[in-house]
Amino acid sequence: MSVFMDLNIVNSHDKNKLTSIIETAAHLGYSTVAINYVIEPQKKKQEIPKPHSVSDIFEKFPMVQGKSTPIKVLNRLTIVASDASHFRPTNDYKLFDLVAVYPKTEKLFHAACMTFDVDIICIAVGERQPFHFKRAPVNGAIDRGVFFDISYTAAIRDSSMRRYTIANATCLMEVCKGKNIIISSGAEKSLEMRGPYDIANLGLVFGLSEGDAKAAVSTNCRSVLLHGETRATASGVVYTMKKPHTLEEQIEDKPASKKAKTETA
Amino acid sequence: MEEPTTFERHVYKNASVYHYMKISLDLENGKRSFSDAQFKQLIISALKELYGEVGAAFPFDLLKFDPSSLKAILRVYNKGLVKLWSALTLLGSYQNEACAFRVIQVSPFLLALSGNSRELQFGESLTS
Repeated sequence: MSVFMDLNIVNSHDKNKLTSIIETAAHLGYSTVAINYVIEPQKKKQEIPKPHSVSDIFEKFPMVQGKSTPIKVLNRLTIVASDASHFRPTNDYKLFDLVAVYPKTEKLFHAACMTFDVDIICIAVGERQPFHFKRAPVNGAIDRGVFFDISYTAAIRDSSMRRYTIANATCLMEVCKGKNIIISSGAEKSLEMRGPYDIANLGLVFGLSEGDAKAAVSTNCRSVLLHGETRATASGVVYTMKKPHTLEEQIEDKPASKKAKTETA
Repeated sequence: MEEPTTFERHVYKNASVYHYMKISLDLENGKRSFSDAQFKQLIISALKELYGEVGAAFPFDLLKFDPSSLKAILRVYNKGLVKLWSALTLLGSYQNEACAFRVIQVSPFLLALSGNSRELQFGESLTS
């Protein structure tokens, strides 16, 4: 059985808020969450924030309900792109475990699906999707292993946004046939989180089949993480790390890195 | 030699026409007093918001309600489970106060709700 993940928790400067959301996520049964840093480039050159180290948030990560492992916290970057110049692969992106793009125009959506080196493409939830999903780019994204992200918090907050979320999601399902979808929270408060089984059920409302809906909170999320890893490494085959200083550390490090790989693989 | 025990496997298909849900209501400002009628009205309004009049007319029962912990057991026809569940999921506020329904357990058998394997507390000897 695959574990549940929520790959979108909006980053906030208030640390207490973040801890309470992550604690709720662990209590609801999510094994992995990703803190989402959203940037909206205004100027040509936009600073990319450095992700905070996840170990700053907790001394000891809360235990996942029903499991004896602590919750895993990742960092995710979302770029709201309304112009082609907004997405430029720089080394700053490599600091994040996941990179997502939210294309505002059809041209950018096409580019994001076919060429951009990203893991996730976000779908509009707070407004009507300004363009139609075409089969060619969506299929291209599915072939490349890029996933589409629908966040459900907007649907909880407001009834018109709920309409947009469901409408956009159903439009997308028509084209992608339920493949390569992840459903994430986008929560800013702990009360906006919902349990993984609730979301699998919500997937049915979005037009997914039962199996696809469950995959949207579990196995598909795992694929996203693996895709994120291949981006940081050379196709996931070779990757570089700093050479440890002492021999002892080296011996200790190697099995640890291997373990980390088999864990996620 | 004794013959090995043979097992017989029974698979019940559509054994029950109902599904039972154990839910609890989380409110932003802590607990407040609810009557069972108010609680059911809240669920009906959630159904109405998402599925309209037809959704609001859908039959389901509030079997048990504990006003102190705001936990309840619902009984619903299999057909309406997805609708009721999604309506509960997408409910975000009650009288302008943020709230959330936590679905604790869902089962076709009422007896299954008497215990929750996810909340078992093991002794020190078992976990260490």
